[in-house]
Amino acid sequence: MDSSSEYLSLEEPHRAVHLWRYTPWKRVHPTGDTSDIPEGVGSPRLSLKCIEGDVPEGVRIIHGTTPIEGLPESDATTSSFMRAITQESSWTVEVDPGFSPGKTVILEIEVDSPISAAHVCLKIGRHANFELVTLVKGDCEWLGLLRTGSTGEGSNTSDIVVNVLDGGTLLRVDAIHIERDSQVKAGTISSGSETTKSDLRYRMGEPGGNLNVLGSILSSEDMSLDHHIEIHHDAPETFSRLDWHSACGGNSKTVGTGMLRVAKGSRGADAAQLFQNLLISETAQADSIPELEVSENEVVGCGHGTASGPVDEDQLFYLGTRGLSTEQAKSMLIAAFLNSTLTEMGSHEMHDWLVGILSDDLDALGI
Amino acid sequence: MSGEKPILAISNLHVGIEGTEILKGIDITIPSGEIHAIMGRNGSGKTTAANVIMGHPSYDIEDGDVQLSGESILDLEPWERSRSGVFLSFQYPQAVPGLQVGNFLRKSVSSVRGDDAAKGAAFREDLKNAMSKLNIPSSFLSRYVNDGFSGGEKKRFEILQMMLLKPRLAVLDETDSGLDIDGIRTVAEGINEVVRGTENGALIITHYSRILEHVQPDRIHVMIGGKIVASGGPGLASLLEENGYDWLEERVAEGDVFE
Repeated sequence: MDSSSEYLSLEEPHRAVHLWRYTPWKRVHPTGDTSDIPEGVGSPRLSLKCIEGDVPEGVRIIHGTTPIEGLPESDATTSSFMRAITQESSWTVEVDPGFSPGKTVILEIEVDSPISAAHVCLKIGRHANFELVTLVKGDCEWLGLLRTGSTGEGSNTSDIVVNVLDGGTLLRVDAIHIERDSQVKAGTISSGSETTKSDLRYRMGEPGGNLNVLGSILSSEDMSLDHHIEIHHDAPETFSRLDWHSACGGNSKTVGTGMLRVAKGSRGADAAQLFQNLLISETAQADSIPELEVSENEVVGCGHGTASGPVDEDQLFYLGTRGLSTEQAKSMLIAAFLNSTLTEMGSHEMHDWLVGILSDDLDALGI
Repeated sequence: MSGEKPILAISNLHVGIEGTEILKGIDITIPSGEIHAIMGRNGSGKTTAANVIMGHPSYDIEDGDVQLSGESILDLEPWERSRSGVFLSFQYPQAVPGLQVGNFLRKSVSSVRGDDAAKGAAFREDLKNAMSKLNIPSSFLSRYVNDGFSGGEKKRFEILQMMLLKPRLAVLDETDSGLDIDGIRTVAEGINEVVRGTENGALIITHYSRILEHVQPDRIHVMIGGKIVASGGPGLASLLEENGYDWLEERVAEGDVFE
């Protein structure tokens, strides 16, 4: 059965399902008619850049149909829909084994069609040491972004996705395999789109995988940003941390749902999830629901937590005693809150560049 | 007294929090160029006095006034007091993960002393000198404010801020606690640099006389139960160090308040 037929054969997902509890499929479907697979979907423009200088040899982007692997754990609705809609809009980012450019590579995805979709497959070679920032920008009503792939054995990768779309809806589905002894920092920075639904899944299927999932989410006005993160420990001696910071202003709503699955046999797994929400306005809402499914007894630890609250009054007072007005202090505290996860995502060069992007958004919001 | 008006004048200050009176009518006057100290046991109201001078919003001012160079500051927000020249070194400084020390210092100096003071070679030189005096390494600048700092690092960072902000009135709340002997000497040198030979002033809040040996305050006030029960010269600190507070509390219980 092809992916279109598969999608059309499925029932609309029920809201009782963890993934669809807060933002139903109908709301993030490009037309709202869930029995429809739209035609004439546009392809965004993809290009590789560097913060400074030329793109080094050893990394390339290849356009063409890429076999989509690694989606078995993804939600059937989104995986079949995304496969169907990205058939003509597929790229592979290929990184040579041992590639270590010493600088950050930017994958720019620019959209200008009302409805666009893209599949990007990451193929990170063995022992590569690589920072990739995927910058999603432009103006559209709907963008579907499917990211699949794997980080090669012994590689060290920062894989950061930045959403600065001018409104519209972003549906993002990630399915990334982390191979043996591979270290991954998977970052999400989101300050664009009116509506975002992300289903981000990471699987450590071999020993020694080390994953840090980091989020810096800034919502304002009437934005609705819903991120679901699943981390699968399917092998012994695997490590994961999730640290997700959302700053919510205006009438916006953010949702963070986590699912940590430790399979039987994953001895020595060490996993923790923490969602933190900073409520900037009285009408903003933030929900965080971390969940655990641990099927192995001999683990180092598995924990989760969540915290929500307004700007800390004691921190405000402290900055006030240093001459910073209440507005200045609030702005600094919000930036600091987002920066504390941003700074863990990669090198100084990348961090400075990312801070620049978020600073513009903070200024634009007038926080 | 080198100025016409005292740098700090606290008069008949009554302060409460959630209906409980903590400060029960205190009077302290610090002339320009002088360093005073408040000593007292835990819970006597010393930190409340420091927070009220700085404008902490949790406290209710029930009566009295706090003046900086003859002007009441009670209606000013904390940041306005800071820009007027008041500085508070905290007993427990707040950690702000994600806020880099270097950026924070530049922005606070800009807010208090103006944009020009936070720009260019002059600021960098100022910063370098202050950090050198306090034995703070340059790597400190890329850390986050008080995040993961040891007790001693926090106190040195408070003094670094004081040296850069150049306040007219520095209030130091238990800055000596958690510091070793060398740390106390270093911090005391910082306080002396900001006040001695200037028209500024300082109020040191402490349990112990150790820091006072290095700072040599002009006057010491003893606070018990939200009141100043004794004021005197530096000898008072030695007396308290030798005899503790019990004898003083007994005298106060008998109705003595002495100068």
